[in-house]
Amino acid sequence: MAGFRDAPPPRDPEPLRVDRVTKRFGGFVAVDELSLEIRPGEIFALLGPNGAGKTTLIHCIAGLARPTAGSIRVFGYDTGAEFRQTRRLVGLVPQEVSFDPFFTPHESLMIAMGLMGVPPDSARADALLSAFALDRHRDAYTRTLSGGMKRRLNVAKALVHRPRLLFLDEPTAGVDVELRKDLWGEVERLRDAGTTIILTTHYLEEAEQLADRIGVIHRGRLLMVEDRDVLMKRYQGGTLRARLDVPLDEIAHALPPGAQRIDRHQVAVSWSDPEALADAIQTLRSAGGLSDLAVEHTRLEDIFVELIANADDESNGERGTA
Amino acid sequence: MINTVGLRTLLVKEIKRFLKVWQQTVISPLMTTALYFLVFGVALGGRIDRIHGVEYIEFVIPGLIMLAMITNSFLNAASSLFQSKINGTIVDLLVSPLGTFEVLAAYVAAATVRAFLVGALVYAVAASFTGPSVNNLFWALYFGLMVSVSFSLLGLIAAIWAEKFDHLSLFPNFILTPLTFLGGVFYSIDMLPAPWDVVSKLNPILYVVNGLRYGLLGTSDVPVMSAAAAAAALATALFVIAVLLLGRGYKLRA
Repeated sequence: MAGFRDAPPPRDPEPLRVDRVTKRFGGFVAVDELSLEIRPGEIFALLGPNGAGKTTLIHCIAGLARPTAGSIRVFGYDTGAEFRQTRRLVGLVPQEVSFDPFFTPHESLMIAMGLMGVPPDSARADALLSAFALDRHRDAYTRTLSGGMKRRLNVAKALVHRPRLLFLDEPTAGVDVELRKDLWGEVERLRDAGTTIILTTHYLEEAEQLADRIGVIHRGRLLMVEDRDVLMKRYQGGTLRARLDVPLDEIAHALPPGAQRIDRHQVAVSWSDPEALADAIQTLRSAGGLSDLAVEHTRLEDIFVELIANADDESNGERGTA
Repeated sequence: MINTVGLRTLLVKEIKRFLKVWQQTVISPLMTTALYFLVFGVALGGRIDRIHGVEYIEFVIPGLIMLAMITNSFLNAASSLFQSKINGTIVDLLVSPLGTFEVLAAYVAAATVRAFLVGALVYAVAASFTGPSVNNLFWALYFGLMVSVSFSLLGLIAAIWAEKFDHLSLFPNFILTPLTFLGGVFYSIDMLPAPWDVVSKLNPILYVVNGLRYGLLGTSDVPVMSAAAAAAALATALFVIAVLLLGRGYKLRA
């Protein structure tokens, strides 16, 4: 019984090991033999289009869904047979904002704390309310809070028991820019304090900025898992847009290979590495005098779209040959 | 390993929940039962002969207490769990390290507290008219406890199964109220013509009403041991169903 006062000690340093997990809903396969390992202390961004299986996977880990097959271990504990240990180690911020209209934010945090098996600690609840700028609404009925405040309360509720592994399922969906930045700051503070974080998001900018590693899931399968920096380097490159003093018709022969005309004075050139970019700029400068220049880098969004498109093409191809 | 802190938290939360709206959860059922008591006991009771040697106004008291306890234990568990399904806070419970028995124990205990609170208030109102009467305190408490446990379990089963408010209202409207009214609250089954006196014995509520009537007045249509066994059987059957549904996460976990 005393074991619930403190989180169980990790049996294994690895925060999460998902081993060939499948989740079926009737004939629909939401998660398809998916395996994944999460490193201690990292922020892992799980990306995927709507219905890809992100939330179902998180639900299987947190206890909201039961895997049809496979096993999941949190810090070495099995999420099925040892659910009391794993749930004490995991925090979940669900996609949907929920609140109990009968209770105030302070009461809601005290209840969330108790359900997790942590003895009530009013000072801890107050500290969380303060951290999420809800202290002025401590004793207001939760139903009177704004949407952003309710979302912040949801995040605070997931932290009451100091989870070692935190799931944020689209935590910034529908929130304003200021709150999004605040939440990002909080996520980074948690990571710095040693919490391992798994984040799903539709804002790829969020993953690009926060994540140490990125996984892309589509149709229940992991298409790719990669360090963010490696990924961005692998797909480095972009587009150079230039405005020239001289009309393009007069210097067509001197433009860099693959240059595409935008209008009479503007041209776009794709580049794949910094050297190619420098060459293209030099060529354009020599050809007709640069009056304006913009360099666009490939963004995570472009990589994501390409991966999903390739996966769909392969899937269609397989179906076509079957 | 039991999550005692979690169990206590859920229990206290559920009690606080109904006390926060005490006018609706405590006073309103008291008012309804008081009206039954005034109409059937005081106004009409004088025109009805004594039943099993007791005045009619006294005869209806145990049934009215049971009616209040059945309704309130059912509604407390059902409305709380169903609302948490609708507003999404059920997630807090499902991701917590609470086992099936702890969740059941907390909901049932909170509903039992409300049922006993309302039942005691109804008894107090009745006693102010007729004077206090307790024939056997053990049996009175036993049947009060069995009925609270049974119908809070039924409330949980209903809330787990229900997908909309209409589903939930089926239980009080089409099961609880008819069975309670036909369960000997206002009459003795000796007054029914055959075969209805026998058919009535298939109604589990008949046994708990008569069990409490024995505990308070010392009179019953059925032997108290039979009533006690029927009440225990009802509680056990509902407990097994609730454990199976909650344990499997039926309509709760995907």
